[in-house]
Amino acid sequence: MDLSYVLTLLVFFPVLGMVVLAFIPNTQEKTIKLVGFLATLPTLLLSLAVYFHYLAGKSLEDFSVMKHWIQFGGFGEMDKNFFAVHYELGLDGFSMIMVLLTSIIATLAAVASIHIKKEWKGYFMLFLLLEVGMLGVFAAENLILFFIFFEITLIPMFFLIGKWGYFEKERAAYSFLIYNGLGSAVLLIVIMVLFARTGTSNIDVLAQIVNNPDQQMMAPISDTMKFGLLFALLVAFGVKLPIFPLHTWMLRVHVQAPPSIVMLHSGILLKIGAFGLIRFGMGIFPEQFKTLGLLLAILGVINLLYGAFLAFVQKDFKMVLAYSSISHMGIVLIGLGAMNEAGIQGAIFQVVSHGLISALLFFLVSVFYERTDTTLLENLGGIAKGMPIAAGFLLAGAMASLGLPGMSGFVSEFMAFLGLFEEMPWVAAVGAIGIIMTAVYLLRAVLGITFGKSHREFTGITDLRKVEWVPVITLMALIVLIGVYPSVLSEPLKTTLDAIMLGLGG
Amino acid sequence: MENAWIIPLFPLLSFLFLLLFGKRFKESSAYVGMLLTFASLVYSLLVLFERFSSPTYKQEGVWLTIGDVQLTAGFEVNQLNALMLVIVSLVSFLVHTYSKGYMHGEERFPVFYAYLGLFTFAMLGLVLSPNLLQTYFFWELVGVGSFLLIGFYFYKDEAKAAAKKAFIMTRIGDVGLLIGMILLFWQVGSFEYDAIFAAVAAGEVAQGMITLTAILIFIGAVGKSGQFPLHTWLPDAMEGPTPVSALIHAATMVAAGVYLVAALFPLFTASDVALTTIAVIGAITAIFAASIGLVQTDIKRVLAYSTVSQLGYMMLALGSAGYVAGVFHLMTHAFFKALLFLAAGSVIHAVHTQNIEEMGGLWKKLRVTGPLFLIGTLAISGVPLFSGFFSKDEILIAAWEGGHPILFLLAVIAAFFTAFYMFRLFFMVFTGKSRSEMKNVHESPSLMTLPMIVLAVLAVVSGYVNTPWFGTFLGDWLVEGNEALGHGHVEGPAWIMIVATVVSLAGIYLSWLIYGKKSLSRNWLGAQTLYKVLYNKYYIDEFYSMTIVKVTKGFSHFLRYIDTYLVEGIVLGVTAFVQTLGRLGAKLQTGQVQTYSAVAFIGLAILMVIFALTGGYL
Repeated sequence: MDLSYVLTLLVFFPVLGMVVLAFIPNTQEKTIKLVGFLATLPTLLLSLAVYFHYLAGKSLEDFSVMKHWIQFGGFGEMDKNFFAVHYELGLDGFSMIMVLLTSIIATLAAVASIHIKKEWKGYFMLFLLLEVGMLGVFAAENLILFFIFFEITLIPMFFLIGKWGYFEKERAAYSFLIYNGLGSAVLLIVIMVLFARTGTSNIDVLAQIVNNPDQQMMAPISDTMKFGLLFALLVAFGVKLPIFPLHTWMLRVHVQAPPSIVMLHSGILLKIGAFGLIRFGMGIFPEQFKTLGLLLAILGVINLLYGAFLAFVQKDFKMVLAYSSISHMGIVLIGLGAMNEAGIQGAIFQVVSHGLISALLFFLVSVFYERTDTTLLENLGGIAKGMPIAAGFLLAGAMASLGLPGMSGFVSEFMAFLGLFEEMPWVAAVGAIGIIMTAVYLLRAVLGITFGKSHREFTGITDLRKVEWVPVITLMALIVLIGVYPSVLSEPLKTTLDAIMLGLGG
Repeated sequence: MENAWIIPLFPLLSFLFLLLFGKRFKESSAYVGMLLTFASLVYSLLVLFERFSSPTYKQEGVWLTIGDVQLTAGFEVNQLNALMLVIVSLVSFLVHTYSKGYMHGEERFPVFYAYLGLFTFAMLGLVLSPNLLQTYFFWELVGVGSFLLIGFYFYKDEAKAAAKKAFIMTRIGDVGLLIGMILLFWQVGSFEYDAIFAAVAAGEVAQGMITLTAILIFIGAVGKSGQFPLHTWLPDAMEGPTPVSALIHAATMVAAGVYLVAALFPLFTASDVALTTIAVIGAITAIFAASIGLVQTDIKRVLAYSTVSQLGYMMLALGSAGYVAGVFHLMTHAFFKALLFLAAGSVIHAVHTQNIEEMGGLWKKLRVTGPLFLIGTLAISGVPLFSGFFSKDEILIAAWEGGHPILFLLAVIAAFFTAFYMFRLFFMVFTGKSRSEMKNVHESPSLMTLPMIVLAVLAVVSGYVNTPWFGTFLGDWLVEGNEALGHGHVEGPAWIMIVATVVSLAGIYLSWLIYGKKSLSRNWLGAQTLYKVLYNKYYIDEFYSMTIVKVTKGFSHFLRYIDTYLVEGIVLGVTAFVQTLGRLGAKLQTGQVQTYSAVAFIGLAILMVIFALTGGYL
C-alpha cells in the first residue's frame, strides 16, 4: 500500500480549512470557530493513525515522500541529487512524537480559542497557517524545506500576537519578529554554507558526509568551520529555546499573546529550538557537539536557576509561567549536556512533557482570565472556593510542572539529572537547587491564586464549562500516562536515540 | 502474597471514585472509603500471616528502558513490609471510621475522603516498593497527600502557609534523597535494594561513597520524619483536620523516614560515620523537641512536638545499630500516638478549642475519651506494662550498647521530659476545675470512640510481642534470615529498665505536683528567659525567615534587576543596532548605478583576495 501521500495530507490539511474559512462571512462567529476547530481534526486523526501504524510494528519509512523540486546549476546531469532541493517529508520516532504533540495541542488550542473576542476569521486562518508551519518543521527531511516551514511559523505568529494580544501587543510582536528574524538569519547562513559545500541539504545525507571526510563533497569543511557552524546553530536555536540571555522576547510573548496562542508558542514553538539542537546540532556535528557538554550543562543550570529565582518574585501569573518555561528548558539543556542516553532521553521527554504541561497551564490561565479579568497574583486568591475543579487542575498542573512522580515532569527531570550526575556530579548538584526552587515558586503562585481568603467579587463565578473540560482532561490524561507508563514515549524514541548515540560514539 | 500488589489499589480506587462521584454520595462517601480500606486491612493481615510461614516474595517488571539499563517496578513482601502494611492499613481504616463522626457537617466531606484514599494508596505503595526509585515515587506522593490534607481548610491563611511549608521543607530533604539515590545508582548500576546490599557487602562501593550516599539518603528521612533541622513543618502541619494528624503526622507518613533508614539498614551499617550521624541527629531531635513540648499550650502542638521527639528516638535506635528497637518503637508509637491524636480530636470536638489553658476538669464529662487518653499517656510515658515501656527500653539498651554514653544520657532526659509534658497535658485537660463556659460538653459518638478503643487495646498489648520477659518474637522474626540487621534482641544490663521506670515515674510525679496537686508553682524554676526560648521553639522559624528566606528573596530581586536592566539593556542595544543598520542600509539606496557597481566590484575583489590567500579552504 502506498502511504507516501499521508504526510502531505497531514501537513497541509489545515490549508483546506483556511480556504473554507475564506468563504464564511466574518460575522458568523460560531461557524468560524467550529470550522477552525474541525480543520485541525483530520491532521490529528492522521497523526494518531501514523502513531498506531508505528505501534503495530510497521516502518515509519512507509510515509516518506520525495518529489523533485528545484535544481541549481547544471549539476543535474552528473547526479540528480546534486544541488537539488527536493520536496521531501518523512518521520522518525522523534519527529513522529513531535508531529503528534503538535496536532494534539493545536486541536486543544483551537478549543481554547473560544475565548477570542474579535475577528475570528482572520484569527483562525492565521492559526491554521501556523499549524502548517509547525507540522512542516518536524516533518521536513531537508534543511531548506525546514527553513521554509520555520519561516511560515513566524509570520502568522507575528500577526496573532500583534492583533489579538493584550495591552503591549505591538511591542511584543515586534520583539518576537526581530529576535526570531535574527535567529533565522543565522540559521540561513548555516544552511547555505552546508548546501554550498556539500551540494545537498538532506539532513540524513548531511549527517553522513559531514562526518566522513572520504565522502563526496564540493568543498571540504574544516573542523574550525564545523565549530563555527555549530555555534551558529546554538545561537539560532538558542533564541528559540530560549537560552539565557536570549530570552527576553519570549517573556513578552507569554504575557501579551492570547493564551490559546501561548499554548502553541510555549507548547510547540519553543520546542523547535530543542528539536533543532538535537536533530541538526547533534545529528550533523556530533564530534563537535560532544565537546560542548560542559558548556551546555552550565547553560542549562543557569537557565534552570535563573528562571526559577525570577519566577519566585513575579507579580503576574503569566510571568511566573514564562520564567518557569525558561527554567524548564534548562532541564533540556542539562539533559543534552550530559551526552549520555539517560540525559538525551530526559531532554526529549522534557520537550514533550513541558509541551503538555505548559499547554495545560496556559489553558487554565485563559479560563481564569475569562472570569476574573486579571492574572495579577495580588488580585487573585481563594479561587478554589468558586471554581474547585479548575483550581484542582491548576494545582495538579503545578504538581506536574514541579516534577511530581506519576506525572510526565518527573520522568524527564529524573532522567536528565540521572544523566548529568554520571558525567558532572557537581554541576548537577548545583542544578538540584532548582528542584527545590521550582516547588517554591509554583506553590507561591498557585496557592496564591487558589488558596487563602476569597475575594468578594469572585463569588459568582462558574466552574469549568463542558467545552473547557476537553483540553483539561486530555492534557492531564497524557501527562499522567507518560508519568506512569513512560514506555509510550521511550519505545518510539529508541531508534532515534540509538542513532544519536552512535554518532556521539557512545 | 502473589497478589499483595492489590492492597494499595483499594484506596486508589476510593480516591478516584470519590473524586468523580463523591458529590452525589455526600457523607455516605465515608462508607466507600471505609469499605475499601477495610479490604486493604484484611488483605494486609492475610499477607502478614502468610509471611510468618513463607519466605520473602518479590515480583518486578520493566518500567522504563534507558539504553541498556532497565528500570523496574514491582513489589516485595518481606518482614518489615508486611508489618508496615498492617500498621498503615489498620490506622488508616480506624481514621476513616473516626472521621465519619469528626468531619460530620463538613461541606467538602467527599473530598476529604478522596484525599485520605490518595494518601493511603501512596503510603501502602511506599511500603511495598522493592527499589529506591519506586520508593521515591511514592515518597513524593505521600508528601502530596499530606500537603493536600494539611491545606484542607484552604481558605484559612494559616492552613495555606502550613501546607506550603510542609511541602517545601520536605522537598529540601527529598532532593538529598534524590541525589543520594542517583549517586548510588551510578555506583551499583541498579536501584534494587537487593543489588545495592549485595554490592555494598561485596565491597564494590568505595567507603567514602557509601558514607556520602547514606547521609544524603538520610537527609530525605530527616525532611519526612521531621528531624532537626528540617522539623519546623511538622508542628505547623497541625492546621490540618485532627484525624489527618493522627494518620499522617503521627502514625504513618512521618514514620516513613524511619522506615527508609530501616529498609536500607545494610547500607547504613556499612558506614560508621553515617550511623553516628543518624544517632546524633536522632538524639538531638529527641531532647530538643521534648524540651519545646514542655511549655506549649496547644494540645495538638504538644502532641506534634512529642511526635518529633519520639521519631528522634527511633532514629537514635537505628543509628545505634538497634534495628529491632527502632522498628518496634515505630509500631508501638503508631498505635499510642494515633490514639492520643484521636483522643485529642475528641476533646477538641467537645470543647471547640485547642488551648489547654482553657480546658480542665473534663474527666467527668468525657467518660470514654478521658481513660483512653490516659492509656495513651501512660504508654508514651513509658510506664511499665504498657507498650511504650518495652519499646523505649529496647531503644535505651541499644543506645547504651551502641557505645554512646552521652546519647544514652540525652535519651534518658528526653524520656523524663516526655513523661512530664504528657502528664502536664493530661492534668491540665482532664483534672482541676471545669470552666464555666464549657457547659455543653458531650462525649463523642461511638463511631469516634470505637477506633480509639481499638487503638487503646493495641497501645497496651502491642508491647508484649517483644519483651525480655515473655519472649522476643517480633525481634527474632524481623531479623530472620538477614545477618545484616543484627540480633533480634540485645541483652542489656537490668539497671537500664529500672532507670527508665524511675525516670518516667519521676516525670509523672513532678508533673502531678505542679499541675495536679498544684503544690509547686508553675514557674518554680523561675527561668523566664528559658521559658520564652522554649515557648518560641528556640526561634528557629524566625532564624530561617531571617536567613534563608531573606537570602532567597534578596537574590531573586537582584536577578530581577539584572533581567530588567542588564539583559534588557543588551536587548535595547541590539534593537538600536538593527535600526542603525537599517538606516545605513537605507542611505545606501541612493539610486546611483555607478555607486552600486563600484561597491559590487570592491566586494568581489575582497572576496577574491580572501580566496587566494586561504586557497579556498576556510
